[in-house]
Amino acid sequence: METKINLTRRRFLKSVTAAAMIGTAGALSVPRTAEAGEGKLATIIDLTKCNGCVDRERPACITACKTIKTGRIPEPVDPIPLPFPTRKIEDWSKKKEVGSRLTPYNLIYVQKAEVDIGSDKKTVFIPRRCMHCDNPACATLCPFAANHKFENGAVVIDQEACFGGAKCKTVCPWEIPQRQSGVGVYLKVLPTLMGNGVMVKCDLCSDRLKEGKTPACIEACPQKAMSIGPRSEIYAKAEELTKRIGGYLYGKSENGGTSTLYVSPVPFDRLDAVIRKGPGEPGLGAVKRRMAGTDTMGKAVLAAPAIGIAAGVAGAFALVSKRKDRIKKEE
Amino acid sequence: MSISINEEKNRICRHGSLELAEHWALALSGLVLLLSGLFELPMAARYKITMIPGFAWSGDFIASLMIHYVASVVFVAAAFFHLFYHGLLHDRGLIPKKGDLKASIAVIKTFFGKGEEPPFDKYLPEQRLAYLGMAAIFAVIIITGLIKTYKNVYAPDLSHTLILWSTWLHNIFFVLFIMAFAGHIGAILLKPNRPMVRGIFTGAVRLDYARHRHPLWLSCADTPASVPLVALAADTPPLVETEAIVVADTKAGASDGSCAPAGQNTIVPKEKEE
Repeated sequence: METKINLTRRRFLKSVTAAAMIGTAGALSVPRTAEAGEGKLATIIDLTKCNGCVDRERPACITACKTIKTGRIPEPVDPIPLPFPTRKIEDWSKKKEVGSRLTPYNLIYVQKAEVDIGSDKKTVFIPRRCMHCDNPACATLCPFAANHKFENGAVVIDQEACFGGAKCKTVCPWEIPQRQSGVGVYLKVLPTLMGNGVMVKCDLCSDRLKEGKTPACIEACPQKAMSIGPRSEIYAKAEELTKRIGGYLYGKSENGGTSTLYVSPVPFDRLDAVIRKGPGEPGLGAVKRRMAGTDTMGKAVLAAPAIGIAAGVAGAFALVSKRKDRIKKEE
Repeated sequence: MSISINEEKNRICRHGSLELAEHWALALSGLVLLLSGLFELPMAARYKITMIPGFAWSGDFIASLMIHYVASVVFVAAAFFHLFYHGLLHDRGLIPKKGDLKASIAVIKTFFGKGEEPPFDKYLPEQRLAYLGMAAIFAVIIITGLIKTYKNVYAPDLSHTLILWSTWLHNIFFVLFIMAFAGHIGAILLKPNRPMVRGIFTGAVRLDYARHRHPLWLSCADTPASVPLVALAADTPPLVETEAIVVADTKAGASDGSCAPAGQNTIVPKEKEE
């Protein structure tokens, strides 16, 4: 995340004006479609354009997502088995309409940040969903491979295979995946002893991508604040846009890099300071990839066969040559 | 190869120092892998294992992954060392032989009072079968573990089919590993096998036990290929030539009380010594 924070009202207005102009041009050049979802994809979320759909009952991206995902989660069993020994379940099935945070039934929501710019207050709206990280611990550490990062960049949880242990949520720096108890394969195994439902999060509308369509939220955005396209192009556009508006970029290096780039006229640490954070309400702070600390040892594991083979061969040949020397001496 | 015996102390060396090092490298790293592997499941926090003093790390998936990796380096390197070192030296004492399955069933029956044990070589037939089973489990766990590690470090978007197979095989063979470990411990708890326990800690077992139960091993001079290694145990004092049935290679250092690596000693037929 960029760290410069010398933001003035004049600079901010300049950024917004520039962003509006660039954005209009950019909307024409940045593909909003995923080109059949093939190849590595990325998305831009342009915060200079998002207005939170204040004129609507609910932001269009949320409505579109809820519409397209309706019925994806089966009705939970009644009563939901209480897991031993915690006896805690998470049941959102009776609060499906909640749109003010991430839930298993609400995979995108819009944060509101009111930032002081000089003597003025500026409101920034920030659509939040899974970042689709480049090397997502949520997927690589899933003990059942129920969560996987696909070649196009989408990180997708297979609800048929997920036990709802919430490991993915624990290792996600933004705690994006949300649990619905009382559904899923765990009910058929040891419902009170292992698992606790299914984890649900944005899958970048993988099914739609396969059909050559764009994710529902992107398609529905009336401000065209979100775009999807080939990763290299999206990255280039995001960096160009950031540079031209004198803005800030989030998602390029966070958690080791992601497929979601936010471009903002306001520094992200300032947004992070004012947005509401909590369960289902992720922050916007600097995030390091924790698993990076294990990569060196992981490489050592991959080298271990060669180390073992080298030692074994060297040891055996040393012994054989020692034997030969001894036989020679005896002769 | 030769057999080192100390009549005075009633000891015969069953495992050399290198074999002991291999066994314990695999056993201890394997135990750490079992534990850290369990903690890769979201269970430590749920079952309050994190509350046990010294186990706070068990709820941290990244910390347990790091521990899993460290133990994997030892485990994988030791397994490959074992395979290549003993493979190149043609140490085949633990490779199953024809008829081992039938013999194993007969031996197991004797534990329940049915029939009498046949004379054994250095290793029991069920030990040879267990070795093969354990090797197969290790092989699958190592291969799938390497694929999973490669995915973690370099290629999170590796083929989902490959990841699914690797993950589930790793999980299934992890359970088999636990069962095999339990079986291994269970076997040494059986009364007839208990005298062998000493050998895996010190290298040496009781000579009277070996003479009674492993006569084919002691007559190895007649069947040298069946005995991969015997050297002096670390706690066994230097051999006195007159005490030994078979004298270890004095130039290789085996007779000075140290444990020589596999294959280091030359075979000295019993008849020649006598």
